[in-house]
Amino acid sequence: MKKIIIYILLILVFLIIYFLQSNFFSWFTIYGIMPNLFVIYVLFIGLFAGQIPGAILGMLFGVLLDIFIGEKIGISGILLGIVGFASSRLDKNFSKDSKLTIMLMCIGATLFYESADYFISVFIYKMDIEIIALIKILLIESIYNSILIIILYPLMQKVGYRIEETFKGSNILTRYF
Amino acid sequence: MVILSNLNLENITSVENAFSTLVMPIQNGLTYLKNKLAGNDDFFTDINNLKTENEELKKQNAELEASLRELEVIKAENTTLKEYMKMTEKYSEYNTVPAYIINKNTSNLSSIIVINAGTRDGIGINMTVISEEGLVGHVISASETTAKVQTIIDPASTTSATISTSREGILLRGMLEENKTLKATYIPAEASLVQGDAVETSGMGGIYEKGIHIGTIKEIVNTKNITNRYAIIETAVDFDKIETVLVVKKDS
Repeated sequence: MKKIIIYILLILVFLIIYFLQSNFFSWFTIYGIMPNLFVIYVLFIGLFAGQIPGAILGMLFGVLLDIFIGEKIGISGILLGIVGFASSRLDKNFSKDSKLTIMLMCIGATLFYESADYFISVFIYKMDIEIIALIKILLIESIYNSILIIILYPLMQKVGYRIEETFKGSNILTRYF
Repeated sequence: MVILSNLNLENITSVENAFSTLVMPIQNGLTYLKNKLAGNDDFFTDINNLKTENEELKKQNAELEASLRELEVIKAENTTLKEYMKMTEKYSEYNTVPAYIINKNTSNLSSIIVINAGTRDGIGINMTVISEEGLVGHVISASETTAKVQTIIDPASTTSATISTSREGILLRGMLEENKTLKATYIPAEASLVQGDAVETSGMGGIYEKGIHIGTIKEIVNTKNITNRYAIIETAVDFDKIETVLVVKKDS
């Protein structure tokens, strides 16, 4: 029951983030480049809620994004799903209490998501690769994202540990009994 | 009496002056004080009057401000409606539907906009979207009330175009680097490009209507091999500021 409520809340927060990204961050840019809040959000879910919720919600959010404003349905779905899944894997190997690892994870996730998105669309639409422009976007975006995650992390940690309790607390119990 | 009547006036005035110089400051001070005290009554009664007056004025001010704001809203509405009018007049040969942009893209790698007109208004996939300045893009999907438009500056978008002076066909692609420019490729080897030449849609490819203004040639980049040369086209539409568009309905 508690899990279902958390799922619903997480989806509602996604919608808020969507409106933030499309309205606020479309003009609050660095050199015309906006951050990617969805990657941060899915990374957060994967880190705290575990791999199954991370992957499922990541995929769901990606598909929703594609429906709202994407060109082809599925690309962001798969990529955000991978981000959610991979971030729960990262959680097992790295501490999420250190700001440095969080920053590096955020940069890694952003770089992975954006470059995969770009190269898949290059493949699909037979676009010319503009490597310099891409590197510029990737650099600024990942820096912007990591700044945001540093600012938001205390809040994310507070909420995150509650989510972790409900999602992973029961896992540990089933493991021992 | 005689003495008094024969006294020189000038002498008296000097005495008068002496007295007045002595008395006048005191008199002045007293009058000032008296006035002040007498005026206090007025002061207290006035406070109430002023308060009510002030409130009234504030109310009036608020009303005026409200009407001013209203006027501003009407003004803005007026300009957008005028824009619509101008647009519809300019493209009167096309059957068009006006629409507002309600969402711009959320990614740095693509450029998609969402407009507030959908299948209910007769909008379908692959319809051309224009604005007052020129070509915006084409519809890639439409729901009942909204439609997604892929702009010409999207890196995944290609537009078949002609140079309006020489009538040579070129292919335009969106660029990742900037959202005001397009890259023109497949320029015929014998074609002569001139900076500042206008570029318009060619009508080939079946998506865009023919003869819609796209932009002007900003820069010609010559490479070693003439078939590889390309040009940078500056779009007529400013995609950062665009608010209203027209969708050209296809008859079929």
